Amino acid sequence: MSVSALQLVDVRKSFGATPIIRGVNLDVHQGERHAIIGPNGAGKSTLFHLVSGRFPVSSGEVQLKGEKITGLPPFMINRRGLSRSFQVTNIFPRLSVFENIRCGVFWSLGYKYSFWQGVERARDARERSESILEQINLQSRRDIPAGVLSYAEQRALEIGITIAGGADVIMLDEPTAGMSHSETDHAVDLIRRVTEGRTLIIVEHDMGVVFNLADRISVLVYGEIIATDTPQRIRANQAVQEAYLGSATAEHDDA
Amino acid sequence: MNGAARWQFLPWVLAALVMLVLPYVFSSGASITMMSLMGFAIIFALSYNMLLGQTGMLSFGHAVYYGLGGFMTAHALNVIGAGKLPIPLPVLPLVGGLAGLFFAVIFGWVSTKRAGTAFAMISLGIGELVAACSLILRGFFGGEGGISTSRTSTLQLFGISFGPQIQVYYLIAAWCLLSMAAMYAFTRTPLGRMCNAVRDNPERAEFVGYSTQMVRFIAFCVSGFFAGVAGGLAAIHYEIVTSSVVGAVPSGFVLLMAYIGGIAFFIGPIIGAVLMTALQISLSDYTGAWMLYVGLMFVLVVMYAPWGLAGLLLMHQPLLAQGTFKRVLPAYGLALLPVLLLAAGLIFLVETAHHLMVKAAEGPAMRVLWVDYQANSPWAWVAIVALLVAGAYAVRRVAPTVSEAFHAAAQEAQRRRAAS
Repeated sequence: MSVSALQLVDVRKSFGATPIIRGVNLDVHQGERHAIIGPNGAGKSTLFHLVSGRFPVSSGEVQLKGEKITGLPPFMINRRGLSRSFQVTNIFPRLSVFENIRCGVFWSLGYKYSFWQGVERARDARERSESILEQINLQSRRDIPAGVLSYAEQRALEIGITIAGGADVIMLDEPTAGMSHSETDHAVDLIRRVTEGRTLIIVEHDMGVVFNLADRISVLVYGEIIATDTPQRIRANQAVQEAYLGSATAEHDDA
Repeated sequence: MNGAARWQFLPWVLAALVMLVLPYVFSSGASITMMSLMGFAIIFALSYNMLLGQTGMLSFGHAVYYGLGGFMTAHALNVIGAGKLPIPLPVLPLVGGLAGLFFAVIFGWVSTKRAGTAFAMISLGIGELVAACSLILRGFFGGEGGISTSRTSTLQLFGISFGPQIQVYYLIAAWCLLSMAAMYAFTRTPLGRMCNAVRDNPERAEFVGYSTQMVRFIAFCVSGFFAGVAGGLAAIHYEIVTSSVVGAVPSGFVLLMAYIGGIAFFIGPIIGAVLMTALQISLSDYTGAWMLYVGLMFVLVVMYAPWGLAGLLLMHQPLLAQGTFKRVLPAYGLALLPVLLLAAGLIFLVETAHHLMVKAAEGPAMRVLWVDYQANSPWAWVAIVALLVAGAYAVRRVAPTVSEAFHAAAQEAQRRRAAS
């Protein structure tokens, strides 16, 4: 069997004396779409922060494609091929939409800290950015400052920046939060398209999105993963229903 | 693409022409000196804006790199002069630049580990540290007398001695143009763009593969280099460098230049440097309280025009392009008198107070804005207060009209642009 895209081994995190993540073991296969669900305050976003290097883990180990990444700063983890989005939109507000994407592209194309070549000459960066813009459908907004985009457009841009560097492990933190029905459908479509052939780990509250998109689902409750399985079996899982899902699945079945 | 590439050189050709022709238009010795000062002030202000406007780093100690660049250039000039080394004067600002770069590498390594307020505090600390050293290390800084030097003792090429000020002006102008172009090019590189990204959202920059600390550090070093070039040119111009150039006053002044000009635009610090240098020189001929006016201007810009003078100018560009500019002119005309009233009130207030406190020994008789009066006369003070109150009231009354007229014209410009 090939190496996992992402593996968490007994990862723990406490803020002061309060344990938030209490020994998470998780194994995400290469190329799968893996959803993490759980009630509010279960620690989903914290788990994302631990994996992406924003917070240091208290103990345990995170492996990206078989290599240990625990303790690395975010930019090193990103360079190794893991890219994430944020629950609260996190873009470069004064840069144009196009520049936002291009900033996500530079490192992966090897421009590093270059101040000896002009951006206009960097044709590969421009072409990659244009194609990402096309994928997230924001070509018409190309030259306006990202800060003035509508909420849904900013969410799309957020995904665009995340995938721009071509990372093969993509982590999306509630990409459809606060969206209308049609916007959500649009976003799911977009996510499906842009993560084709990559590994996706997604935190999401909308159960429609989760069961529609995910190959496997992990359920996080109070800092522990109580089940990891296919959507059908998660739905049938007694412990999951008791802990969290009961009402939400019922809603989804009705819809 | 090719056409655009050709057009992008136009501003630089124009700038070069203007610099070339200016000494023929303003040919007096005083104006050539002033234009020389403007030349290195522009480099200094632009280098400062690499930090503040482009990377979001507020420095209170930028004169350290300017001043140390100046000292190194002066020492280099003296060594070259004494040893008759075959090094021509025009390359010496490079010594200043390398000195600025060297110290920026050392101090920047420490200070760019932090961002925001912590960075600002560290820059202030380093500024004070170097200023204190400048009084202790007499060998290098020359104590109170500073380091004197002579620019004419270097190798002369083509019979240019750099004795006359006009020759120094052209040397400064050439370096100014070169530095402006280089700093503009810097903004259009991958790193330049990442500087903007770090300014806008350092957290996200880390998640697209960039170490914000490294971005800040490199920007700091490049900025230190150009500050050093400016300091080197200043040393060549004045032929003396004193310890005051590394102090808090020039560090504050460069902040004022960049901010009043407008830190969000590349051209902002250029406008700021030109204007502030002109004010510094001409205003100080008329009044001893000129710094107060500069401070007042800074406060006004911070409060009412946070995008600086460049922002004020550039926000009229769409209006001019779409031909709706003439619609705001009546409102601006209406506002002119109240603004002049208020300004006159302020000037009389500052000048009279300054006269009473600083020049009391000369007696109460004084003359401001073509008016002769007694500084200690109660009627003068009544008139000042009346001017201030009337001016302030009138400005408050017309301000909404002006703002409405501008927004109407801007909206119409937008509509026309969308329609075309």
